[in-house]
Amino acid sequence: METSNKALTFSLKKLFYIWFIIGITSFGGGAITQFLIQDKFIYEYRWITEEEYTTIIGIGQITPGINTLAYTILIGRKLAGFRGSVLSVLGLVIPSATITLALSAAYLSVNQYPVVQNALKAAFASIFGISIITNWRNIRPILRHGKQEGLLPLFSFLLIIVITAILYRVFNFSVILLYLIGSCAGIFIYKFIIKKKPRLPK
Amino acid sequence: MIYWCLFFLTVLKAVLFSTGGFGPLPSLHTDFLANGWATEKQFAEAIAIGQIAPGPNGLWVVSLTNLSGGLIGAILGAIALILPPFFILLVRKFYARVRYAPSTQGVLDGMVLVVSTFSIVVLANIFFNRSPDVILLLIAVISAALAATKRVSVNLILLVSAVAGALLLH
Repeated sequence: METSNKALTFSLKKLFYIWFIIGITSFGGGAITQFLIQDKFIYEYRWITEEEYTTIIGIGQITPGINTLAYTILIGRKLAGFRGSVLSVLGLVIPSATITLALSAAYLSVNQYPVVQNALKAAFASIFGISIITNWRNIRPILRHGKQEGLLPLFSFLLIIVITAILYRVFNFSVILLYLIGSCAGIFIYKFIIKKKPRLPK
Repeated sequence: MIYWCLFFLTVLKAVLFSTGGFGPLPSLHTDFLANGWATEKQFAEAIAIGQIAPGPNGLWVVSLTNLSGGLIGAILGAIALILPPFFILLVRKFYARVRYAPSTQGVLDGMVLVVSTFSIVVLANIFFNRSPDVILLLIAVISAALAATKRVSVNLILLVSAVAGALLLH
């Protein structure tokens, strides 16, 4: 009963408030932020369905910038039009960016202490280690798909990885040029090497 | 004025031509170092601060633009970070028609492979350029191993690493 009352009482103020709360409590990066978005909008307030959220994630994959912000914009758009989009982004970004700035300022005032520098150095080492796993998780489904299609698609995907690293590290290719090369190579692989329909979402 | 314009457009370009929280890293790393706006050390610091702070992954960019350009830099960085995702309102209109097209999947997969490779190369570059000792190497390896198990929260890994660094590094 309480949930259905909440669902009926949508307002822009409440929309902003929910994003604001997510913005100040989502310690732990994008995964935690997404978890909180699902928790609030799908399960607590029921303003969007699981299916709608899945579609939003799909569209977010072909949008530039931070995916989570793109999801925020679409959820806001669905609930209250363009005003809802803007309000949602600001609600999420203002508190989290302010805390980021406060942390940066705090760091600048204490960064002369070796203990602080060492703590941050170690945190970065940890992020480097974690990022290898995160990026591997991004790459793995593509390589797995390539493997299912045969050795040539798998080899082609691996070639994109190796060539990207060489062109960037050794020949200092511009980043935008490499994005273009990667995209064109991907199109070529799907059009002429795999020659099947791409995998559909479950 | 020209400096701030260039600064804003550089961040905007990096975000516009990338996807995900660490997507803008390679482009920003190249441009900020070339323009002398940030050092490798500042990149490492900004990424660490961004990870500790709440919110989406990409907010490390706000920390970087703050460390390199002060408050104005941070505001410009935040605006450049917010604008490109609005592109989703356009994408939404034709998404249904292109979502299963081979070209769409090709572009997505190609981009993901390039961005992921970049991110690892750039982070490795920053990490190894600072001549890490055995303790830092161990922290990186153990963090990767713990993250791979999915059993330990990333926040906890970061916190324990920072404490270990404060206590063990000299």
